[in-house]
Amino acid sequence: MIPLHRLKPDFWDFPDISGSHSGLNLKRKWKMIVLVTATLALSPLVIMTLVDFSLTRRTIETEANTGMLTSLNTIAAVISASLEEKPPVTGAKTLWEKAFPHLDTGMNNDLFLMDNTGRLLTPSVYYGASDSKTSLDAGLFSGAEGIVNIQAPDGTPLLAGYTSITGTALTLVKLQQADRLRDLWLKPRLQLLWFLCASIGFILLSIMGMATFLVSRIHKSERMRIEALHHEEHANRLASIGRLASGVAHEINNPLDIINQKTGLIIDLLTLEKQARPDQRLLPLAEDVLEAVKRCGTITRQLLDFARHMEPCVEPVDMEEVISQVLALLETDARHRDITINVPPVPKIPGFACDRSSLVQIFLNLAENAITAMGKTGTLTIAVTHEKTGFVTIRVSDTGKGIPSEDLPKIFEPFYTTRTDRWGGGLGLAITYGLIREMGGDIRVKSAVDKGTRFILTLPVKAPRPAAPDGTLHLPGSEMTMSAKPVDDDTRRDLYAKS
Amino acid sequence: MSEKVLLVDDEKDFLDIMSERMQARGMTVKTADSADKALAMLESESFDAIVMDFKMPGMDGIQALKNIKNQKPELQIILLTGYATVEKTVEAMKIGATDLLEKPADLEALAAKIKQAKTEKMLLVEKQNEDKIKDILQRIGG
Repeated sequence: MIPLHRLKPDFWDFPDISGSHSGLNLKRKWKMIVLVTATLALSPLVIMTLVDFSLTRRTIETEANTGMLTSLNTIAAVISASLEEKPPVTGAKTLWEKAFPHLDTGMNNDLFLMDNTGRLLTPSVYYGASDSKTSLDAGLFSGAEGIVNIQAPDGTPLLAGYTSITGTALTLVKLQQADRLRDLWLKPRLQLLWFLCASIGFILLSIMGMATFLVSRIHKSERMRIEALHHEEHANRLASIGRLASGVAHEINNPLDIINQKTGLIIDLLTLEKQARPDQRLLPLAEDVLEAVKRCGTITRQLLDFARHMEPCVEPVDMEEVISQVLALLETDARHRDITINVPPVPKIPGFACDRSSLVQIFLNLAENAITAMGKTGTLTIAVTHEKTGFVTIRVSDTGKGIPSEDLPKIFEPFYTTRTDRWGGGLGLAITYGLIREMGGDIRVKSAVDKGTRFILTLPVKAPRPAAPDGTLHLPGSEMTMSAKPVDDDTRRDLYAKS
Repeated sequence: MSEKVLLVDDEKDFLDIMSERMQARGMTVKTADSADKALAMLESESFDAIVMDFKMPGMDGIQALKNIKNQKPELQIILLTGYATVEKTVEAMKIGATDLLEKPADLEALAAKIKQAKTEKMLLVEKQNEDKIKDILQRIGG
């Protein structure tokens, strides 16, 4: 059995949102569609059936009545002819006994003669033996012939056909159960009625299915429209919050720096000038202040980072310009380390669009990693190829120390690092991975120990959508995300402990 | 020989403490509370490095950087900023900034950058002198 709630379409409990984005009451719409379509489709069918029903009934009744009267008239004519020479009552009785001894009378064929006073001349199944007075009203049979509905003494509804015998005061009556006649036309009609009901059911189900499909489609597109609107509102609100946060963070950094320097000066005074008898608690206290300033600095920096991430926008990007921008940042470091940077001519990629800052961040992370891996001397190569499949392939290779094969599966995991200096937080490649996935691309890595590492990025020429507008960056492995949403104190403490 | 540094910031508090702390580390420090004053000082004095705030009222960091680089191309300039974006850093580097440090700055890191800047400046000056000598020799030879 399918539970009923599973058959209920999604829009059934959808609230009426006439006041907001949509003016649709989908449940009412569905009911209207079903009602109008069902009325249009089923009315002719029902009317035709009723007409057919009534016509058939009338035809069969007429045919049966005519048949009954014809046979009565025939018998009456025979009796009338035989009685021409004899007194009617005794003659009729004699004739009846002789001519109709084997009459197959029964509940459905009760044939008898009666006079105009209601007295029976011959026995009747319903009204008893001959010569008895019946409860039948002789006035009912006043005409020459006819068919009337009567009720038997036991209450059975009967159809009585009668005809008067010419030249006598006698009437030939035939009684039939009224139900039998009804059976003649009703049974085949009832069978047809079942077929009709099944058809109506089938048509109704089809109409309901069709209406559900159509309204579901309306509901789906409506929901998508509303979601897009909400998304836009949400993104706009977040962008405003981001701008506000960015402004606040900027303003906080200046007084923070003064606290930093003044505390630094206190420490300098205590350590460099060797005060005669400073309180022992002064130095640790000042160092605590410095530590707190560092924490504040980290928070404002994170705030600014998130604020930047909240306003991703897909725009046409010149790959060559992005690469030269990144190289300008790394040039000094590379020169100090005697590292050669090799960039083969970058092909023009018509229509290439993505979030520019994300792309810069990706290049910067990969190139910084490469430079760190090479230490002193080496070659960093950044090669871009435009594939015909609508993708851009970027290869960032170095001639550094390489990554051991057992570490390769872990390098995109958050907080995985081999660096020992304080800048190696282990988030660089995880963030890179998250950004690439958001741009609809992919990243692979090949590495040989002591020979070098090559990262191969595949990015679609047209980014599918901007990065998450809620400021959430999905990181690989586990269910972890970096989010601009507020975090509770415990989570914050954990993050500081790790960083 | 100690490094001679010009410190430029509109926050007087910051200037006083920084100069005191830098002097405590053996540097010779002069201060200016605006980019215009710094430019005026550069006309009469020579420095190993300039440490300058990126965001100041009047002439901003980028404009000041351009003007200083026009006046003294060999001068090493370290910028201090509340927040370093990639775009901002690249723009500053393109104009010729030696480095860019985020506030709150670590004085030890800044001192290391200043030392490095002084070496860079000396190398640059040496190279300029070599070029000049080569130029003169070529002229004499030609």
